[in-house]
Parts: sequence; C-alpha cells; structure tokens
Amino acid sequence: MRALSAFRTLSAATAGLVLLCVPAAAGTAALEAASADTKVLQLPIRTDGPKSLDPVKGSTTYDNMACAQFYETLLVNKYSNPMEIEPLLLAEMPTSTDGGLTWHFRLKEGVRFHDDPCFPGGKGRVVTPEDVFYSLKRLADDKYELENWWLLKDTIKGFDEYKEVQNAAPSFDYDAPVEGFRKINDLEFEIVLKQPVYRFLYILSMFQTSIVPREAVERYGDDFGFKPVGTGPFILDSWVPKQSLTAKKNPNYHAVMYPDRGEWSSEDRRNRLHRAAGQRVPFVDRIEFTMFPEDQPMWLQFSLGQLGYTQVPEDYFLEAFDKASLELKEDYLRRGIRAHSDMLLDFIFRGFNMEDELLGGYTEEKKALRQAIALAIDLEEINQTFYNGRTIVYDGPIPPGLRGYPENGRSDAAYRGPNIALAKQKLAAAGYPDGKGLPPIRFYTSQSTINVEMAEMVKRQLAQINVQFEPIFTDFSTLIESINKKKAPMFGFAWASDYPDGENNLALFYGPNESPGSNHFNYKRAEFDALYEKILTMPPSEERDAIYAQMRDMVLEDVPFVGSQARQRFYVINPWLLNCKPTERYYAWFKFLDVDNSKR
Amino acid sequence: MWNYILRRTLYNIPVFLAIIFLVMVALRVTDPVSAHLGKNATEEQIRLKTEAMGLDQPFIVQYAVFLRDLALFWKPVPDEEVSSVAQSGESPAIKVEPSPWKRKVTRSWDQDLPVGKMIFDAVPPSIAVMGPTLVITAAIAIVVGLVSAFNRGRTADKILMFLAVIGMSISVLVYIILGQYFGAYLPKQRYSAWPFEVAVDASAAGGRWFFFAPANWVAYCMLPVIINVIVALGYDTRFYRAVMVEETRKDYIRTARAKGASTARVMFVHMLKNAMIPIITRIMISLPFVVTGSILIEVYFNIPGMGRTLINAINAKDFPVIQTFTALFAALFIASNILTDVLYALADPRVRLS
Repeated sequence: MRALSAFRTLSAATAGLVLLCVPAAAGTAALEAASADTKVLQLPIRTDGPKSLDPVKGSTTYDNMACAQFYETLLVNKYSNPMEIEPLLLAEMPTSTDGGLTWHFRLKEGVRFHDDPCFPGGKGRVVTPEDVFYSLKRLADDKYELENWWLLKDTIKGFDEYKEVQNAAPSFDYDAPVEGFRKINDLEFEIVLKQPVYRFLYILSMFQTSIVPREAVERYGDDFGFKPVGTGPFILDSWVPKQSLTAKKNPNYHAVMYPDRGEWSSEDRRNRLHRAAGQRVPFVDRIEFTMFPEDQPMWLQFSLGQLGYTQVPEDYFLEAFDKASLELKEDYLRRGIRAHSDMLLDFIFRGFNMEDELLGGYTEEKKALRQAIALAIDLEEINQTFYNGRTIVYDGPIPPGLRGYPENGRSDAAYRGPNIALAKQKLAAAGYPDGKGLPPIRFYTSQSTINVEMAEMVKRQLAQINVQFEPIFTDFSTLIESINKKKAPMFGFAWASDYPDGENNLALFYGPNESPGSNHFNYKRAEFDALYEKILTMPPSEERDAIYAQMRDMVLEDVPFVGSQARQRFYVINPWLLNCKPTERYYAWFKFLDVDNSKR
Repeated sequence: MWNYILRRTLYNIPVFLAIIFLVMVALRVTDPVSAHLGKNATEEQIRLKTEAMGLDQPFIVQYAVFLRDLALFWKPVPDEEVSSVAQSGESPAIKVEPSPWKRKVTRSWDQDLPVGKMIFDAVPPSIAVMGPTLVITAAIAIVVGLVSAFNRGRTADKILMFLAVIGMSISVLVYIILGQYFGAYLPKQRYSAWPFEVAVDASAAGGRWFFFAPANWVAYCMLPVIINVIVALGYDTRFYRAVMVEETRKDYIRTARAKGASTARVMFVHMLKNAMIPIITRIMISLPFVVTGSILIEVYFNIPGMGRTLINAINAKDFPVIQTFTALFAALFIASNILTDVLYALADPRVRLS
C-alpha cells in the first residue's frame, strides 16, 4: 500500500514536471516557427560586455562592439580589407588641397537618426554638420572625464583652447565656436588641423567619434548610455548589463551595400564571402548578444548551434583544431563548421622602466644590462609552451601587417634571445660578470595562472646567466598603478593598436607620453621624439617607412622592452551564419551578416 | 517579543555600522581610479575620475554620505539643480564645485547604473535558484540524516555517509562543469526538446521576474538547482545526521519506543520536533544566501543574480556596489539572527525571549 502511495506521489511529481516542461518546449517550437520568417542572429560577447553605450565614454573592445551597432562614424574600415578605410556617413572620402591641413567633408544625403521621442514627432531627423561638431566637442567635455580626449588632443585648430575655456566656465557651451570647425552648408563642412596629422582620418573611423544627436544626449542625460540614438543599422531593444544585449533592424537605415565581388580576395571568394555582393544591408531582423564571462557555456552553446560564431578559447583549441596543421578537425568540417583566423595588431612585451636606477638609463653599461636580459629570454620557447606556437615572435614594436614591421619579423638591430654566450658578454660589459653584484630583477605582472607559469620559465631562462628574477604578481589595477607611478622596474604588458598604422605603436616611446601616459617605458630620446613629430604629418610613403624602420631600430638598440609577440585569433563559424569574416579591427561589420534558417 | 526584536535591532546597529566602516576602509587600500581608467590615463583624467568617484573627499565624509544614501534609498532623489555660479563684476565666471553632501543617485562606477536598480534586478534571479535549493536541500538532508541516524552503524548508514563524504570532497566547480556538460549539452545534442538549457541566453532580457515563469524556471534554473542541491547535500546530511544521532541517545526516544510508537512516528514526530533548534539554526544561517546568490553557479549559467553582480563589482573595483551589497548582506544576516531567536521560542516553549 505504501509502495503504491509512493508510486502515486512520484507519478504526480513527474506529471507536474512534464507539464512544466511542455510550455518550455512549446516556447522553443513557437520561437522556431517565428524564426522561419524572421532572421535572428545570436552572437557571443566574450567576458562581460560593454560598460556604456555612449561612445564618448567607451574605450574597450566590447564598448566598440556594442556601440558600432547603434552609431556610425564618418569613416569606417572596409569589411573586405579592414586595414583600409572608406566613407560611411560621408558621400566620399574627405579631401584636402593644402597637404592635409584643411579637410573637406561632404555628408551622405538623407542619413537619418533612429526614430526616437527626443525628436519632434518621434521621427529621426537628418544628420547635419552641427551633429559632427557637437559629437566631437563632447570628447572635450570634462563631464565625460576626457576618456577619449587623447584622440583629438593637439589636433584641431582652436579645439584645445575651446576645451580649456569651456571646462573652466560655469557650464560647457556646445554652441561656442571652434576655430577649426567650419560649416559650409547642410551637407558640407571643413575641419582645419593645427598641423597635418595623418592619423586624423583613422581617428574619424574610431567608434568614440561616432555621431550622436544633441537632442537625445540632452533629453536622456546620464542615461544616454542606456538609450542609444544614432544612425546605425540596429536599434536597441534591451540591454541587461553584463548579461545580454538585443537590437532590432533599423527600418530607416541609409543605403549601405555589401562589398562588391571585386573587393574580395580569392580566398574570401572561395569561402563564398562575395555571395551577397551589391545587396543592401542589414540582412537580419534582430541581433542578440549574450555575454559569457566563462568559456565553457559559450563553447557549448556554439557547439549546439545556438551561436553564429565564436572565438576559439585557448582551452578548446585542440578540441577543434589540429595542432600541427592548424586546420579544423574532420568532425567539425563534417558539421559544416568553417574556421577563420585573424592576426591581431598585438605588441606583447616585457618592458623596462627607463628611469629605474638599476635597469633604466642610456649609458653603454645600462644598455648592455638590458641587452643581456633580452638575449637570455627565449620567446619562441614561451610561444611553443604557452600559446601552442600560435603567436608570431617578431622584433620591434610594430606588429605584423603594418608598415614598419621588419622583413620576416627580424631586424639586425634586435637583441633577440636565446644567445646565452652573447648575453654573458653583455652582462660582463654591464659590470656584472657572471651576474655577480646584480640585485634581483623585480618584474611586475598581473596575477593569473599563465603569468605565474610564464614567470617561472623566464626565471629559469635568466638563471642561465645567473640573473635572479623576482616576479611580483598583482591585480591588474595595482599593476597599472605601479607602472603609472614608475615603481615597476620591469613589467609584463601588451598594446593593441588603436588604428592600423605603426605610428600608433611608435607613440609608445614618445617622450611627452611618459607615464601615466602610454609611454610606460618612460623612454626619452630627443632624436626619437623629433622623428616621431615628423612622421605624424607624413602620409604613407617609402620615406615614412624608412623613418619607421629607423625609429624601430633605435628602440631595439636601447632595449626598453623584451619582445615582441602578436596573437592570432581563431574563430569557428556555424553553417547557418553567412557572410562572416570576423575581425577585431572594427565592429561595424555585423550588418553584413546573414542567417540561413534552413541550416539551423 | 516585539520589545525583544526592537532591542536586538538597536544592539545590532553599531555592529552594522562597524561592518560598513571596515569594508569601506578595506576597499580603499587599493586605488580604483587606475583600474577604471586603464593603462594610459593622464593626470587630468585621474583628477576628474577621482572627483567623480568622490574619492577626493575625506574618508569620514565618504562614509557619512554612503550611510545617508543607504538610509534614504527609498526616497526619490530630487532632480539635479543647475550648479550655482559665482560671478562678480567683469571677472570671468568661476565654476563652483558641487557639494559632496548634495544627494544624488548612487551609480555603479562600472556600469553607470543606479546601484539600487542593479540590486533590485539581481535579487529575483538569485531567489529563483537559491530559494528552491534551500528548501529541497533541507528536506532531503533532514530525511537522509534521520534515516542514517536511525540506522547508525548499519550498511545503509555507511553507504549514505560514504556518498556524503564523496560529495563534500569534490569541488563545486567540477559539479558545475560536468553538470552543464552532461545535464544540458549532451542530452540537448541528442534530443532538441530536452528541457534544460546550457546557460541563460539573450531571451532572459524579459525582466527581473523572467525566471519565475514555470517554463523559464525549468529551462534555466532547474539544472543549477539540482547541482546546488547535490553540492549542499553532503554537508547538510552529515550535519543533520550528527544532530539526529545525538537525539537517538536521549531517554524520550526509548520511552516512545517502549510505548509502542512506530519507527516513522518516532523519527518524524518525536525526534524531528526535538531536533528543531539545530535545524532552525542551520536553515536560518543559509537564509541570507537565498538573496545573495551563488557566484559560480550564476557565472557559469549566466544567471543575472546577486552572486554575479558581486563578482563583477569586485573585479571592477566598483565600490558603491560592493558596499551596498555588503550592507544588504549584513542587514540580512542580522535579521536572520534575530528571526532565529524568535523561531527558537516558537519551536520550543522552554525558550523565553528576554
């Protein structure tokens, strides 16, 4: 009797569970039925996603990834070749008749902001030159903590003065004129620079300089970062910070076409990336991002076909790829999954503080000590052990793919290890024969399993020349603080280029950028600074390339860092996601993606 | 009883204030400005950020402002007034720095969202997972503890305790990783109608009560609850067994048996009733965690609960969120302590609140 009662209870519980599950399954079925008509694109954001959807407050990759769906810049990287830029909100590339001092811009006709209650009648209005000036002026406003002021500092005529005056005034006057901003008519305007700065055009392709409407910023105030109103291909639907972000297609998006067949490389054409050539974008009705602070759920959801593409996390690389050939494994290919790799513009290094009493300095002895350390460190061993051989080891601060990168990654000026015999000679020349009398080298790096293991390897490598290596592991903010305050004699760090020009990396050694600026090495050489100021104004040319090489070798001789490495990012793409060529150079490319629901 | 509750609450106020004080002191050992500004901050940016975070104020002012905002969290903040301007004659206008005492919405440094909203949004998902976890774990563990204690030294007891020790010895991370793989991924690969999802996706943007819809709860919360229950069972079973073993040695059990009470009656009526004090203690200690959530479960299953909010705040050095979270946790802990005493009196008439 008791057994029967227990059975009844169990049956009731099971029935209850089934009843609960049925709506879940029904919900999924309904979603699938709806998705037959609607194209919904699900994508992951690795880590915890954007911090703000206000471009002027943005700085991270994830801010970029989110903002690029809602706002647009005057210029943008090309999807078919992200190293190049093309007009987006402009009708044509900006022109200059005075060698890059004055730039003439013509806005694309009829580009409208998203429909939003901030506009009269809720109808998005047409973009004007005033919107461009207003958006750039926001970068100068103290209210936004000057997060991105560095992009335009010392660049536009009268802009630095405008910033000083307005931030000292009781309220920031966006109507006050800037000498370098000149409106010609409702479509055309000019920007006058202090001096011809070539990177200016790259800056105008960066998401922080996206064009925003003043009405929305003023209406939403501090909440503008949660209510994005731009001209982008998508309109925000919902954003749960650190969780998810969903957006729907902008029905009034201006005419942007998928790149023509001729723009794609033969390899891209083999991957059918040209299939949508000439068609108007965006293709999908809805885009859904899920943030994944942990890799396992992201990888499993991708494997279930629930995500369009994903980066391949380090722990899963050998599950999907063959280590020797770096080709996708057979079972993945059978499922129609496609792989793509992208070389990152990375500069991974171990830096020296050039003002440190022990490791810094420019005398021959001081240089010899740093050269000895560089010669004892075997970056290739680190690459093979910790990155499965998938980083590029190269000489200098300019990463592969950019002008100034040495041929085959090697420069004669470099002190690349391992060369223990020469390292010992250099150590003796530095006044520490066989390491005698040399205090331990204090190396600051962020706390992580891989950094602890890597430090152990460097310790062993340096022990070969009797140099004691003392790693200090800190959290990232303490690491930054130690470097900014010039307390770290040697440190592990990395730099990702903001734009595809070696000038961005050479700026890391420009004297006035010393800590807490981007010159964490506190490297100061008058000759280098003079050359840097010269290249700032030069367009790409062989002459500029020669100066890049000269500056690179100057740095290599002085050894303010041991390096360098650049990572290669691997992606896997599900068969239902079309037109996908992932890149981290920019993120306005999601509008080119399409979904084939029949392959889900 | 109300006098007792009021008196205990008043006694605990200094404790509460001290906890917040210590947490705020401990947090300020590190510099959050560098963490928020990243690698290439200028002196000007550092100054502006420090001011925006209120860290330019003396510590005691920061402490007082936080307490004031905490006490007035229920009261809407008046609209921002236009900053006053001092101007005299033809001299240029001077910007008047806003007073640190001017009340404004406490926003997260990391997310720029009002902290109150973040906490209120995060509590329901945590309750959706931790509430059922607490109830199911307590129910199963008490029954298993009773059975084990009643069969002390026998095979059933040995097997149950062996399983409990095994359960305790394995890291919670292992349960989560394997649970997610075998409980959701593998079955889902074979049967698309399998009800458990690997993790919460963008569809959960449907509001803070999303997880309380039965279908959503089954899809996103049931597997985490099962894992949580398995993890907690080992500890709780051993605890309840120890409590019950203690009870089985008491005279009233022998008397009840001598009077002819059935095993079930002895276990579930006599023994359970007399063991209520430690049971209440155990459950009430766990109660605050129903609200504060489980960090690992929420991170791996993408549940936007309190645990995930806290770990994000810690990683981002988001002091306003960490401080508010700590204050909430301290308040809950104090409240659950007081409630525990009240429940003691209700469960056992011999206990008097005085």
